[in-house]
Amino acid sequence: MGMEWYIVRRVAWAAIVTFIIVSVTWGLMAAAPNPEVQKAATQAAMDGEDPAAAADLARQRAQLDRPLHERFMDYVVGVYTLNWGWSSTRNQPVTQALIESLHYTVQYSVPWTILTVLIGPLVGLYSAANQYSWKDHAATGFAFFGYAIPNFFFGIILLLLFGVQLRWIPIVYNTDVAVFSVENAIQLSVPIFVLVTGSIGAIMRVSRNESAEYTNADFVKTAKAKGVSTYRIYFRHVLRPTMVPLSTTIVGYLLALFTGSSLLVEVVFGIPGLGRTLYDAVIAQDTSLVLGSVLFFTFVATIGNLIQDMVYTVLDPRISFEDR
Amino acid sequence: MSEEPLLTVEGLTTEFTTDNGVLTAVDGIDFEIERGETLCLVGESGSGKTVASESITRIVPTPPGEVTGSVTFDGQEIISMSESELKEIRGGRIAHVFQNPQDALNHCYTVGWQIVEAIQTHEPNTSKQEARERAVGLLNDVGVANAAARLDDYPHEFSGGQKQRVMIAMALVTNPDLLIADEPTTALDVTVQAQILNLLEELQEEYNMSILFVTHDLGVVAGIADQVVVMYAGKVMERGGVHEIFDEPSHPYTRALLECLPGKSRSAEGIPGSLPSPISPPDGCRFAPRCDYAVEECRAGDQPPEEPLSESHAVSCVHYQQGYDPAVIREEVVQEDGATTGGVSSD
Repeated sequence: MGMEWYIVRRVAWAAIVTFIIVSVTWGLMAAAPNPEVQKAATQAAMDGEDPAAAADLARQRAQLDRPLHERFMDYVVGVYTLNWGWSSTRNQPVTQALIESLHYTVQYSVPWTILTVLIGPLVGLYSAANQYSWKDHAATGFAFFGYAIPNFFFGIILLLLFGVQLRWIPIVYNTDVAVFSVENAIQLSVPIFVLVTGSIGAIMRVSRNESAEYTNADFVKTAKAKGVSTYRIYFRHVLRPTMVPLSTTIVGYLLALFTGSSLLVEVVFGIPGLGRTLYDAVIAQDTSLVLGSVLFFTFVATIGNLIQDMVYTVLDPRISFEDR
Repeated sequence: MSEEPLLTVEGLTTEFTTDNGVLTAVDGIDFEIERGETLCLVGESGSGKTVASESITRIVPTPPGEVTGSVTFDGQEIISMSESELKEIRGGRIAHVFQNPQDALNHCYTVGWQIVEAIQTHEPNTSKQEARERAVGLLNDVGVANAAARLDDYPHEFSGGQKQRVMIAMALVTNPDLLIADEPTTALDVTVQAQILNLLEELQEEYNMSILFVTHDLGVVAGIADQVVVMYAGKVMERGGVHEIFDEPSHPYTRALLECLPGKSRSAEGIPGSLPSPISPPDGCRFAPRCDYAVEECRAGDQPPEEPLSESHAVSCVHYQQGYDPAVIREEVVQEDGATTGGVSSD
């Protein structure tokens, strides 16, 4: 009992949540007019044929003439067996397209996330340790700059500077270089920089406030009275309790950035990752690929929240698992 | 005893720079603590006693605080020491126990981890296993039942009194010469208070420590003090042996405090008025604005110099200076309440 049982229940809830999201997405897609059917009807009308018959034919081809519950069952089974349909624009299975895109997204998302998780809390701690001094103001100013400036706009500015003026990075992401190569590191450094500056602002702000609160806590005074070094006080006695509320912010904020800002940054820098794939699919009305991308982001968000809840329970020993 | 005192505090002053000006929390106080003795620092909330106790090892935040004066501990001047030198003394030869045990332990770590940290901070060569064994011994000493099993429990799994016992155990790890206890029983309920006070007295004997005990509770003072220093608004009003303070309270403030005890004349209404601003204190005696016996001379100049009444008893009051009659203060009280004396319990 206790923690294990809590985790089992929490995972079960995550599965139920994804199922609800999958169902609602399907309901919206089923209710919306199918672009394939419309396209067939328009084509038939232009060719002087019967648009209604052509629409029926297209509907049959897309198996839209079957009863709703059968289509729903097929769809749900397909989602959970990773049979996510066929991408008409990319001429490959949706899962294949997503895996290929993920290859590029991971290349900048992993370093970006690691840097943010490492730097954000530390900058906040540093600010709290030097509260109201020029160091605090400098760190806060830097963090707020990144927080305030829109990522895509900052990306364009840096692309103009480093890509167009200085020619240090390619204007459009070069997919030909190896993943672990200097060229790749250089061309990814700018989008990573943009995302890190954009994300540490919020994290640093929460970290600074929480740390400042714990800096004045009685248990920090106890540690000082024990003769513990200042360095150890900040890292062991201030940063550790700060991480509890901060972990919530970090996961939530990273997920929001991952699904939102990375799309804009990928479009700006021409990285053919998940965000770019979703963007192109929406423009081209590639329904299956849109659905697949949305599902992928949904799963990431659900799993992220699940991890956050588990991290929370591990970080704060006071949380009881019994009545939850 | 011809031996020099363990701790000598002279002109200890602690100021905080705030947006509204310089706040003088402790304003040039002196006291001495002999080896094995308990000195109680008494005063109402805001009188500067806590800041004074935390200024000795400079655990008050500096800046914004600034500690000046002289603190001699076992022949060593510690006020001018660097942070790294002071770290050796903090939790080493001078240990602290604080007022609120609920927040004094870090909620993210087990009590064992926190005691082991205290041991290893001062004895880096002690292995974790050895430190844990010592922690169990200390927890046993302070009366935590089933200590070995409770070592890996978190602070929230302990009651307030047990947490204070853990704090005391943590203070004892290095066998300190001086224990500074800042209102260690205030946040506890009465029965637990008595247990903790008894424990401190036992441990003082066992570990041969001096104790600086900060409190506003005169009942506690009567039980444990050898010497008493009465503070008001950052200044010392009166000092003396515990019997001198309770049997012959001489400063109007001390008398007023004693009259506030349950069953005494002021127990219902307290002392009228409130503490003066620590940023711009009044001229003359700090207590004059609230004093029933204040005369014109009380409101001019600085705090009156301490007038010795006996070898150990001194009072900072105009009425004890030459040319004044202290009977003004003493008589009236005796008339009003003949039973003021004999407040010291035999326990």
